[in-house]
Amino acid sequence: MSAESLELVKGTLDVLVLKTLSWGPMHGYGISRWIRRRTGGALEVEDAALYQALHRMEGRGWLESEWGRSENNRRAKFYRLTGRGARQLRERTREVRRYVDALLVVLDARGAEAAP
Amino acid sequence: MTPADWRRTFRAPRPADRQAREDVDAEIAFHLDMRTEELIAAGVEPAEARRRAEREFGDVRRARADLVPPARRRERRTRVATALAELWGDIRYAIRGFRADPAFAAVAILTLGLAIGAATTMFSVVNAVLLRPLPVRSPERLAMLWTGAPGVDARGRPDYRTADAWRRRSASFEDMAVLDPVSMTRTGDEGAERIGVARISPDFFPLLGVRPARGRLFTEEEAEARQPVALLGHDVWRDRFGGAEDAIGATIRLDGRASRIIGVLPAEFHIPGLEADVWEPHTLFPDWEATGNEGVWFVIGRLGPGVTVERAEAEMNAIESALDERRPPSERGRRVSVVPLGRYVVGPGSRLALWMLAGAVTCVLLIAAANVVSLSLARGVGRTREFAVRATLGAGRGRIVRQLLAESVTLALLSAVLGSLLALGGIRLTRAFGPADLARLDQASLDPVVLGWTLAVSLITGTLIGLAPAWTTVRRTVRLSGPEGARGSSDGIATRRIRRGVVVAEFALAIVLLACAGLLVRSWLSLARVDPGFATERVLSMNISTTAFPDDDGRVAFYAVMLDRVEALPGVAHAGLIGELLTDADVELGLTVERSDAEAPERVSLRVDEVSDDLFATLGVPLHGGRFFSAEDGPGSPPVAIVNRTLADRLWPGRDPVGSRFKPGPRDAPAPWITVVGVVGDMHRRGLEVEPGPQLFVPLAQQPSGNEKLFVRTSVEDPLELAAAVRAAVRGVDARVPVYFVTTIEAELQSGLAQRRFQTSLLIGFSILAVVVAAIGIYGLVHCSVSARTREFAIRMAVGARSADVFRITMREGLGPSVAGLALGLVGALWAGRAVSGLLFGVTSADPWTFASVSLLLTAVGAAACYVPARRSMAVDPMTTLRHE
Repeated sequence: MSAESLELVKGTLDVLVLKTLSWGPMHGYGISRWIRRRTGGALEVEDAALYQALHRMEGRGWLESEWGRSENNRRAKFYRLTGRGARQLRERTREVRRYVDALLVVLDARGAEAAP
Repeated sequence: MTPADWRRTFRAPRPADRQAREDVDAEIAFHLDMRTEELIAAGVEPAEARRRAEREFGDVRRARADLVPPARRRERRTRVATALAELWGDIRYAIRGFRADPAFAAVAILTLGLAIGAATTMFSVVNAVLLRPLPVRSPERLAMLWTGAPGVDARGRPDYRTADAWRRRSASFEDMAVLDPVSMTRTGDEGAERIGVARISPDFFPLLGVRPARGRLFTEEEAEARQPVALLGHDVWRDRFGGAEDAIGATIRLDGRASRIIGVLPAEFHIPGLEADVWEPHTLFPDWEATGNEGVWFVIGRLGPGVTVERAEAEMNAIESALDERRPPSERGRRVSVVPLGRYVVGPGSRLALWMLAGAVTCVLLIAAANVVSLSLARGVGRTREFAVRATLGAGRGRIVRQLLAESVTLALLSAVLGSLLALGGIRLTRAFGPADLARLDQASLDPVVLGWTLAVSLITGTLIGLAPAWTTVRRTVRLSGPEGARGSSDGIATRRIRRGVVVAEFALAIVLLACAGLLVRSWLSLARVDPGFATERVLSMNISTTAFPDDDGRVAFYAVMLDRVEALPGVAHAGLIGELLTDADVELGLTVERSDAEAPERVSLRVDEVSDDLFATLGVPLHGGRFFSAEDGPGSPPVAIVNRTLADRLWPGRDPVGSRFKPGPRDAPAPWITVVGVVGDMHRRGLEVEPGPQLFVPLAQQPSGNEKLFVRTSVEDPLELAAAVRAAVRGVDARVPVYFVTTIEAELQSGLAQRRFQTSLLIGFSILAVVVAAIGIYGLVHCSVSARTREFAIRMAVGARSADVFRITMREGLGPSVAGLALGLVGALWAGRAVSGLLFGVTSADPWTFASVSLLLTAVGAAACYVPARRSMAVDPMTTLRHE
């Protein structure tokens, strides 16, 4: 893990997980690997937190799980997006986008505009 | 199925807790392993790889602690949801199946519904009469105390002095109270009416734990001072005082004396056998001080905590023996019996009858359930393919068994709904036509207790019904999912064996019911042959009260004038008065016969009643010797008496008592000698079932009393037509005299038989139901067997069997198990007959005539049920049948 990796903003982990699962069912390790590869290790995701998020979202009915066989034929718990989960993903994506946009507007602002 | 099969079928699932923990562990382990492998593949040294994987993961132990509890909750929720969804699916599937096979569903639900309806009705009666507690505090600790000379009268009532001594000396009883119910005349604005008054000691209601709904109870001091105060029963307060608050403080005139109303009892206070309209202090007993606190009293006591009835009875008998020392020799040696209040309210005969009916209805339910088992088995054979397909598609044994159980339970619950609706009607009918003297029968209802019972019974029945089909189906499915799965016709041997067993059981139960019903019918017939000893036709009966008259002279004069007026009415042949006719309340007397060697008086439990001159003529009682009373036997004449046959034989064995003299008490008692002037035939006054006891009659003019029964012999078909005229004649002589309980002597006798009629007709009904259902069962068995064996019959006939042979085979198939069941059942019937022998009259519990006729009857019904399908087997055409194969 690189030294410059970023702490995740609270709540964004859910969105990341939901997004990952939008391509199809995957086990926890797969999700962790996917996020790590995809972000090039730029986002620091503690695995414990990831599993908590998975279980929490399963409890809320955004995900459902089933035991199956992994690529190397081991017993693994696969998570799948439910209809409610897909809806959550859309809403959360929109929120994150708005948040980041708003943040960028502020961060990119020139000093002149700020003057009265 | 072997035990191992059952275990496999119903394998207990892993507990949800452990499942959740293991799942979380497995998930984390998988993650760590995978990450470690990935790192190793990337060239990291193995031990380092493992460490890195764990570091990346974070705090493993904490993660586990965080993850397990929610996982456990999820696991549990999922399980319940899955089970419910499966159950709902099974139920929907079952209902769809019933829709597809409406004949099966209709017959099954109707049969079971009828049986559950009958059982629910019966249970509501048992619940109301026997199980529901009486409306008093801890009724199980209350008991009645009776006394009597051994072998003479078990239900005698002690005098006040004795009752008071019991109360003071007993340690077994926390407290005792006395009660004396009497009829009195209440005069109000509407005129005179009869009213039931109970004189009670002040601790009566505190002992029962009953508080007045309004006002207060009377105190010890008020009782001692003989204060005329009264407590009203709720019904009287509502009906006679309009339920008004100002009834308290008002006065009520009882036998001409004004009493101040001080309280009203709660509406729910009803204890059959201890009821009254008005309650007043026991000291208001007439001439309380002058008569030395005489009279005979009901005694009720509250047992101390943990004291048994036996212990209390032993103690009371010891006390009674100690009291003997103060008594004259002729009064000694009485025994005390302690009877729990519940057993006083509903006597042993009624109890036995109710339990018998409950047993009978259970038999009906079992037979109905057996029939549904048989039907389901037959249906199961037809569904072989359905289950084979389901098994092939992956349904496990447990799944199939669960589905079959869900089907039978659904069936039972639908039947329970039908049964409850039927029970609503049944309860209404029972309350309307049931015996009026069965305590609290009018409180039978479909309350939550009864409904809960019905639900439980139908769940149990449903499960039991499902087991046999589940067993055979699972066996069959296991076999049929093999290569020979396509053939189904040779199947059903196990099924047929079970169905034969079911028919055996049904006939066994049916014969038990039929035998008991037969014995009761025989008892009824014997009873119908009993001569009551008096005329029952065309006799009008009513009660009159002269309790409000100040003295006996007025009474005697009134009775004489009144009887003349009534006898003068057109349509009236005779009219007579007697203290009471139909009653089992005897008194115990010591009687001394003038010319005899006996030193001590003979102790006799007998009825003593005053009668008017014409009473015996009115009732058509035969005179065996001497004469009836006449106008000469007036108040001033020498005391005379008439005895019945039984008393004559008892006191003057082998001699003619007419002209003999006797007296109550010992030879030297101050009472005058009484001359016997006549002997009359015995009258069945304690009901037709009880042999008449000794009866003694004295002239009304010599011992008049305030409450009399008036009998009027008429020449009209329905004596009630004359009721209004007779009442008018009585009131015409004196308007102060209430006339009540107007009926016929016939109706009075019949009401004494009401419980027996109720028991007999219900048991007949249950037996018919049982026989019909059993007949349907055997019909179904033979019918199915004929269908299944058509090919076999065709082959037999092709090789030379005649159709009569086939007919014989089929009849044997049906009659075999029914006769086997019958034989088995006869053993049970003998036992059941002995159990209900307390209800029998004039027939022994093993009456061969009854047993033979019910066996014949049931065999005939069985044969008739086999006959129809067996006829069909004869019509098998070998050519057609075999060509179809």
